[in-house]
Amino acid sequence: MQTIAANTFLEAVRQRFFNTVLTIAVALVLGAGFFQQFNFGASELKFVTDFGFGAIFFFGAILAITAMTQLFFSEIENRTALTLLAKPVYRLEFLVGKFLGAHCLIGVFCLLISTVLWGVLYWREGALMASFPDSFPDGRTLAYGEVFLFGFVQWLKFGIIAAIALFIASFSNTNLYTVVVSFFVLVICQLQYIARDAYADIANPMLAALVWFLSLLFPNFQIFNLGDRMVVPGSEPALTAATYGGILCFSLIYTVLFLLLALVNFRRKEI
Amino acid sequence: MSTPPAISIKGLTKDFSIGMKGTKLRAVEDLNLEIADNQIYGLLGPNGSGKSTTIKIILGLLAPSVGACEIYGQPSGSVRSRHSVGFLPEAPYFYRYLSGTELVRFYARVCGVPKAEQAERVSEVIELVGMTEAAHRRVGTYSKGMLQRIGLAQALVHDPQLVILDEPTAGVDPLGSAAIADIIRTLKKRGKTVLLSSHLLAQIEGLCDRVAILHRGKLIREGTIAELTSEANAESLVVDALTPAARTAVEAALKTHGVRLRRTETPRLSLDQLFLKEVSSREAEHNPSTKNTASQDPGKESDS
Repeated sequence: MQTIAANTFLEAVRQRFFNTVLTIAVALVLGAGFFQQFNFGASELKFVTDFGFGAIFFFGAILAITAMTQLFFSEIENRTALTLLAKPVYRLEFLVGKFLGAHCLIGVFCLLISTVLWGVLYWREGALMASFPDSFPDGRTLAYGEVFLFGFVQWLKFGIIAAIALFIASFSNTNLYTVVVSFFVLVICQLQYIARDAYADIANPMLAALVWFLSLLFPNFQIFNLGDRMVVPGSEPALTAATYGGILCFSLIYTVLFLLLALVNFRRKEI
Repeated sequence: MSTPPAISIKGLTKDFSIGMKGTKLRAVEDLNLEIADNQIYGLLGPNGSGKSTTIKIILGLLAPSVGACEIYGQPSGSVRSRHSVGFLPEAPYFYRYLSGTELVRFYARVCGVPKAEQAERVSEVIELVGMTEAAHRRVGTYSKGMLQRIGLAQALVHDPQLVILDEPTAGVDPLGSAAIADIIRTLKKRGKTVLLSSHLLAQIEGLCDRVAILHRGKLIREGTIAELTSEANAESLVVDALTPAARTAVEAALKTHGVRLRRTETPRLSLDQLFLKEVSSREAEHNPSTKNTASQDPGKESDS
């Protein structure tokens, strides 16, 4: 499994797509530091933070879906899967190896963008402190370590997205179909809170239970939207270890679930 | 206790569902085969005859609809059975960014070759397939023949007892083909079993101990090359219109010239002729409008 994962990662980092997405994301985050029209103290830092987190989510989601799909279908279409699965390799090992390789790639992406964002924030806050010393009576205000923690939390979310893409790829016949459906599922997961609000208002208990059950099929990605609370100090209470533990468990459960569903399909797939 | 057959296929049928209605397409029908250990076995058949499907079932890549397939007594669907199988697919495609050595090492790791033995095994199989000089180059720069040879190396790296080669010489020049044929002979000498699928009938004839011919998913002939290509109750003399009297006279005449008739030989069809005759006659049964050109007087050339 580790051998397949390592090879998948090696294959992924050599792809132009990854390097292009990474370059654009880095350029955008770096560029956020130059939005001088927002130069009115701590609000600019919040803007840069939000912009950076947005870049991590947007490009990370694109990367998670397209990289996972491409890495899976390249094995099938190039028939390297034929050679690999003719070896003493379980299909679960193959799937998990592909997933881990893609997830490592996304991890590298999250780490790099978080590092760039950290650098941009540190630089801008230093510049703002020099320009507006009165606005920073207690020194630096941002929780810089939390930038990396946010990157880690997003990495967990991208793991679920990649597992969903792999699940869809396991029964799909084309790369394009998998990418399109995966993005639809991503939008549904992002907008879960609307559905949750809706079923909370349903009077019929049976219908409410059914809608609640259906809502469980799609992970609620709102629980990962903690960027502001993590990095930018404000009125909201700080996050506890239990919150992070809950996010970790939530991510692991959904990731494993979708990988197992992918396995159910892939075991029957004719290579 | 006797060694179980390398491959045992019993009553194998494979149906594929096609389209939205799930129409059944039968790729293999009631196939029974037993391939003994340490043989070179040829699997022949025209395109669409079920060769690749059969190979995929043997490799556990497809599940049979009906019937069973075993490799050295193990169900072919089990991962355990694949420890004793090496496979070279038709027109293999490998990770282009790896060098030959890295590629073979990757498959050695996948196959669970112990780390301490990996380097030795990798260099040994690379040497066996004659790729030592090009082993450091990226696979993306390899020619077709080199790809086949490095593919053979990855198939052999975990020292399998059974090697399955699907069109190993497709697109390879005659020299390369001869080199691959030599490797196959070497494998047999080392006690391995080789299942060979190829359209190069002359090569199959020169290499294989036994062959099976498939047509439309059915086994139509199976046996040794000699069994299949010999014509019963027939004799061959390199003369025209020979009658028994003429033969006696020929023998007598030869004696008077101090030359004796050492032996007479049974006329044989070449494997190509047999293959074409068998396949095209069945094709004609299925589709009477098909002009049977391939089987026209197949014995004509073999009289000599």
